[in-house]
Amino acid sequence: MGAEPIISLRDVTKVYRQGSVDVHALRGLTMDVEAGEFTAICGPSGSGKTTMLNLIGALDAMTSGSIVLEGRELASLNKKELSELRRDRIGFVFQAYNLMPVLTAYENAEMVLWVQGVDGPSRRERVMGLLEQVGLKGMENRRPSELSGGQQQRVAIARAIASNPVVVLADEPTANVDSETAETLLDLMEELNREQGVTFVFSTHDPQVMERARRVVRLVDGRVASDERR
Amino acid sequence: MSGPNVATLAWRNLWRNRRRTLLTLGSIVFGVFLAVVFTAMQDKNWKDMIDLAARLGGGHVSLQHPEYLDKPTLTRTVVRGEALEAALESEARRIQHAVDRVIGPTMLATAGETFSAAFIAFDPEAEDETTLSILEAIDEGSALEPGDRNGVILGHRLASNLGMELGDKVVYTLTDKHGEIVSGLARLRGTLRTNAPTVDGGFCLLPIDTVRDLLGYGEDEATLVAVFVEDQRRSAGVAGRLGRELGGTAAAVPWNTSQPQLAAFIALKVGGAVIMEILIAILVAAGIFNTMFVSVMERLREFGIMLAIGWSPGRLFRMIMMESAWLAVLGLAGAFLITLGPYLYLSSTGLDMTAIYGGTVEVAGVGLDPVLKVGIFPRNAVLIALFAVLATIASGIYPAWRAGRVQPVETIKVV
Repeated sequence: MGAEPIISLRDVTKVYRQGSVDVHALRGLTMDVEAGEFTAICGPSGSGKTTMLNLIGALDAMTSGSIVLEGRELASLNKKELSELRRDRIGFVFQAYNLMPVLTAYENAEMVLWVQGVDGPSRRERVMGLLEQVGLKGMENRRPSELSGGQQQRVAIARAIASNPVVVLADEPTANVDSETAETLLDLMEELNREQGVTFVFSTHDPQVMERARRVVRLVDGRVASDERR
Repeated sequence: MSGPNVATLAWRNLWRNRRRTLLTLGSIVFGVFLAVVFTAMQDKNWKDMIDLAARLGGGHVSLQHPEYLDKPTLTRTVVRGEALEAALESEARRIQHAVDRVIGPTMLATAGETFSAAFIAFDPEAEDETTLSILEAIDEGSALEPGDRNGVILGHRLASNLGMELGDKVVYTLTDKHGEIVSGLARLRGTLRTNAPTVDGGFCLLPIDTVRDLLGYGEDEATLVAVFVEDQRRSAGVAGRLGRELGGTAAAVPWNTSQPQLAAFIALKVGGAVIMEILIAILVAAGIFNTMFVSVMERLREFGIMLAIGWSPGRLFRMIMMESAWLAVLGLAGAFLITLGPYLYLSSTGLDMTAIYGGTVEVAGVGLDPVLKVGIFPRNAVLIALFAVLATIASGIYPAWRAGRVQPVETIKVV
């Protein structure tokens, strides 16, 4: 592609302390993610996939190295700046959906915009459009408990992209749904990636997902073992 | 379709565990109910007792000879002259009445019997039940009429002991201003029935002008001027200011100094009730804290998600505090509704405790009404409401702070 990377990881290490033992989750990981990519991070359990997503998403701090997101070195940002970065520039999709149970589908998708301070009419226009786009038109007032797993994950995707983030980080987004639902979710993510240029980085074990990714990065023992672009 | 805001979110969070919220609200309502009823009983009972004690003798504040308190004899008097009137005028806003009284011991004798008694000499023209509550207890005959210089009212048992009927004569003997024994003759106009033994068996009322003449007092002289203030809680303040105004010419003694037994009794009871209320408040606050804390600990993962998607710790803190605030508002509203009915009943009808008391109970010479009524001072009601709100909100502070300290990466636990 040759474009300027939106995410750049250089010699990133992450060491957890478990009791008296140091666990090396990432060992000098280096990679770039460019705008518009549809990247799958795969690898065995304990290979560092989630740790990597957590570090890129500014949910955790690396032990050493450098992570730059849109030209900003994450290590140089304070808590407030990191919080604003997550709010404005990063979307998250979690394996267990993690929607707010007391909010409706509409309100869940709207929440990030509300936190951003976007005015009511703009929020409404944006969220209604998104829910239609993810196939949930007419279900705006349903709470998570009234939606299927696939529908909840669609709300989570709508929430993740509501603020027009530079990247959506998805952790095993299809792990909790059946293969048919997984297929439709992948269709949706692909469509958003293709038509709106949303950059996706997702971790997965699922061969079905890896097959759909245009770039597959395989991690082994906290390092990039292979990086395949299709 | 309106978007979520912190207040809405907090409200909905509150009802996620309906039973827990209702139990918490129940404890707030119960706590406030108990606090209001306890305080209202105290406020009413102590106010009535203090007012009654004041109306039985020395008023809320007694203006008296500087040495009268230590040695209350008929030789230690005050004169209601210009200085005293000026002092009273300076506090006119807080004073309802100021009446002259001569109070002391006497010996009553009829042809066949002799008994000692306490007496109050008062001006029948200037006073009625408002300032002299004992007049409410006349059960036979009538009160002293203005201008009646030879009448006497006796406790019914004293009259009976003296073998007197209405209209009979009695000789009363006093020690005058110069230490001489003097006597007067009076006819029985009425009897008192209070069920308080010290009053019924050893008390009489005399006209002040006659007693003044007998004792050799001037026309403005008395053993004390009984001052009645519009709110007994201001007695000490009024006494302090009157004392300063009077300089050394007379002492201004508040009821709690002139009636230390009654003051000690009330202080003891109030102190005990305050400790009880503090214990109730601690228990209620602990219950609310527990609810809030458990509710927060159950949602750590959710808070992690919220922080991950851009919520600030401050916004999370506000949301939990808003949950506490909702609890406080609902608890207070519930407490108001639950307390109102019983409060109105207790304030108007009251509970007849005769069966428990077994008749009138007397404390330091003041009879307790066997019908228990309530009447809270508005300031105390506001304080209870304020405390309930603050305690509820304060109970949320630590859980709210804890919520804001959540580390998303530790609580989300992805893969």
